[in-house]
Amino acid sequence: MSNVLEVKELTKQYSKVLAADKVSFTIGEGEIFALIGPNGAGKTTTIRMISTLLTPTDGDAVVAGHSIIKEPAKVRECITYLPDEAGAYKNMTGLKYLRFMAGLFLSDIDALNAAVDRAKEICGLGDRLEDKIGSYSRGMIRKLLLARAVMTKPKLAILDEPTSGLDVINAIEIRKTIKTLAEKEKMSFLLSSHNMLEIEFVSDRVGIITGGHLMVTGSADELKERYNAKNLEEVFERVVIENEVH
Amino acid sequence: MKFINLLKKELSELINLQMILGLVVAMGIFMILGSIMDTTIDEAKEETTNVTIRLCDRDDTEYTQELIKSIKEDGNNVRLFDTDGDDYAAILKDNDIKDLIIIPEGFTAALESSKRPELITVSRMTSAATLSNLNVGTSSGLALIKDRIAADVAQKNGMSEQDYAIVENPVVVRDNTVVDDKSAEISPSDIMSKIAIQNAVMPIVVFVLIIMTSQMLMSAVANEKTDKTLETLLSAPVSRGAVIGAKMLAAAIIALINAGVYMFGFSFFVSGATDTVTEAAENLIASTMSVDEAINKLGLSLGGFDYFLIGLQLFFTIMICLSVSLILGALVNDTKNTQSMIMPIMMLAMVPYMISILADINALPGVLRYAVYAIPFTHTFMAIPNLMFGNRLIFFAGLIYQIIVFIVCIFFALRIFMSDKIFTIRLNFGQKSKYKARKRRQQKAEEQKK
Ligand SMILES: Nc1ncnc2c1ncn2[C@@H]1O[C@H](COP(=O)(O)OP(=O)(O)O)[C@@H](O)[C@H]1O
Ligand SMILES: [Mg+2]
Repeated sequence: MSNVLEVKELTKQYSKVLAADKVSFTIGEGEIFALIGPNGAGKTTTIRMISTLLTPTDGDAVVAGHSIIKEPAKVRECITYLPDEAGAYKNMTGLKYLRFMAGLFLSDIDALNAAVDRAKEICGLGDRLEDKIGSYSRGMIRKLLLARAVMTKPKLAILDEPTSGLDVINAIEIRKTIKTLAEKEKMSFLLSSHNMLEIEFVSDRVGIITGGHLMVTGSADELKERYNAKNLEEVFERVVIENEVH
Repeated sequence: MKFINLLKKELSELINLQMILGLVVAMGIFMILGSIMDTTIDEAKEETTNVTIRLCDRDDTEYTQELIKSIKEDGNNVRLFDTDGDDYAAILKDNDIKDLIIIPEGFTAALESSKRPELITVSRMTSAATLSNLNVGTSSGLALIKDRIAADVAQKNGMSEQDYAIVENPVVVRDNTVVDDKSAEISPSDIMSKIAIQNAVMPIVVFVLIIMTSQMLMSAVANEKTDKTLETLLSAPVSRGAVIGAKMLAAAIIALINAGVYMFGFSFFVSGATDTVTEAAENLIASTMSVDEAINKLGLSLGGFDYFLIGLQLFFTIMICLSVSLILGALVNDTKNTQSMIMPIMMLAMVPYMISILADINALPGVLRYAVYAIPFTHTFMAIPNLMFGNRLIFFAGLIYQIIVFIVCIFFALRIFMSDKIFTIRLNFGQKSKYKARKRRQQKAEEQKK
């Protein structure tokens, strides 16, 4: 199986903090991979490097055959990125926002219209799309932004904390949408979450990251069995303890 | 295509109800001020051309009656009032007038015994505004009475008419003004009254332009940063150059529209004032040359090339604003900071603006002058006077300095935006960083877990 993303020893040193230390993992086609770890673990830093926003101090990542260091422009054509806690232009209507963003990815007007139609369907906001984004609730904005991120059918959609700060209903809807798109359309996802329990339901494989180190990767079941744990939170606890012993 | 898409978005972000309302209000204020200016000046003019002299003759002798008659016969509009007592407020109120000249009892007697006779004037003051207190009736009435008495005294003592004319107005003054190596026969104050108001327009427009452009671009960048829409934008397949370019162009377009409206409104406001003031001035010096002619002769008028140079300098001023606000906007991590971030630019514009109104910057003492020259916007405020008064060297030095400042600023701005500094740069004014706080919280949580 060809990999959509290959992360090779990606490292980021801020002026004082080593936020990502030789992080390596891969994501296959149609796969949902989740980086999980507590706040400040280095998830956002890793994700921003893959999204070509931050320059790695060391290492590389290859997205659909393009290096984020050598061909960042090519990489940006293959990905979409949804920042954590992201907002949208408050004075625009939802529909206008979708059209604006689609215009950045697609030049062909028919393709653009098709993408917007797709987003309309996925976000499920109906007539509210005609309203200004300033009047949207947090959950509505997140749905709009998720629809925006997947409407152009990118090879890899990168979603940082897609469900954080949402109520249970909205979180479930978002997770369902992601899962459906991966299954039906073979889209690949890179997610992150600090909520280790909920992520189990949506991801095919997870990577546990803390203090900039990616400790282990594997499917939730694999990891639970390996660490003899009931859930991923327990897995995380045992991974941390194990690494302290060494 | 993508650039147009970006530009359209930036423009629609900037053009909102608030901005349009602001423009309309500014326009309205200028219009109202303009028409107030117009009517007060018209009233003042009306009063000068249609003078009513209000008199009260308490002496009531043959001499005073004759005096009043001769003033009337010269075509002056004289109204006589019958009053007594010295409650002047009541007198003005009862007769519903603003001013009155009283010829007191004993006026003729004093004259006859070669003493200086007294006249009493009463004027109502209603405000501190200069134009509304203009009291032409009293002053022309006094002048006429003095004139008559002087002529009578001269005649009584056998002075010839020519001699009396000299006594009345001993010298003829011929004013000359020199600018650089040119001179014209006109008084400096006549020239000032014409160019002062014109030159007041430019600094206001420049000031508005600087503040508006900077404010708009800065908050455009800061908002995108805090909303994280900038991350979305820069991870999309568009060049960072296009994203920044669209933002800068949109801010410049809107600022220019604003400046245009202000320029129009303000010139509307001053046009009434200048016209009437110079009209009056021209009447007085009709014998020599008109103010416009004199301005041309002195080389104070600006030609096409001068306007081109002024435009060029304005362009670089805007470019400096744009590049500086890109940097300042990138430093904002919290929308609450946006307002305070405009302060540096505000100061840089305010200082030369104030000084240019109050003093000639080129004549400031050494160190202070160079300190003011070091502020790039100074040269924009000085552009017109420098070109008018032939200080071309200072003008071009200022222009070159601005271009250098622009290159330096845009260099740093692009370094921030083209690298990942746009996401990592941060200014902490002493407060603990969000990240440190978060990290500490996380450490605590982990300790509790153990
Ligand atoms: N711009 C920055 N400058 C300095 N340190 C940073 C910056 N951004 C993040 N960090 C640090 O890097 C570490 C990882 O942060 P982050 O990647 O945001 O974690 P996560 O997304 O997992 O919560 C943290 O310790 C944080 O303090
Ligand atoms: Mg994060």
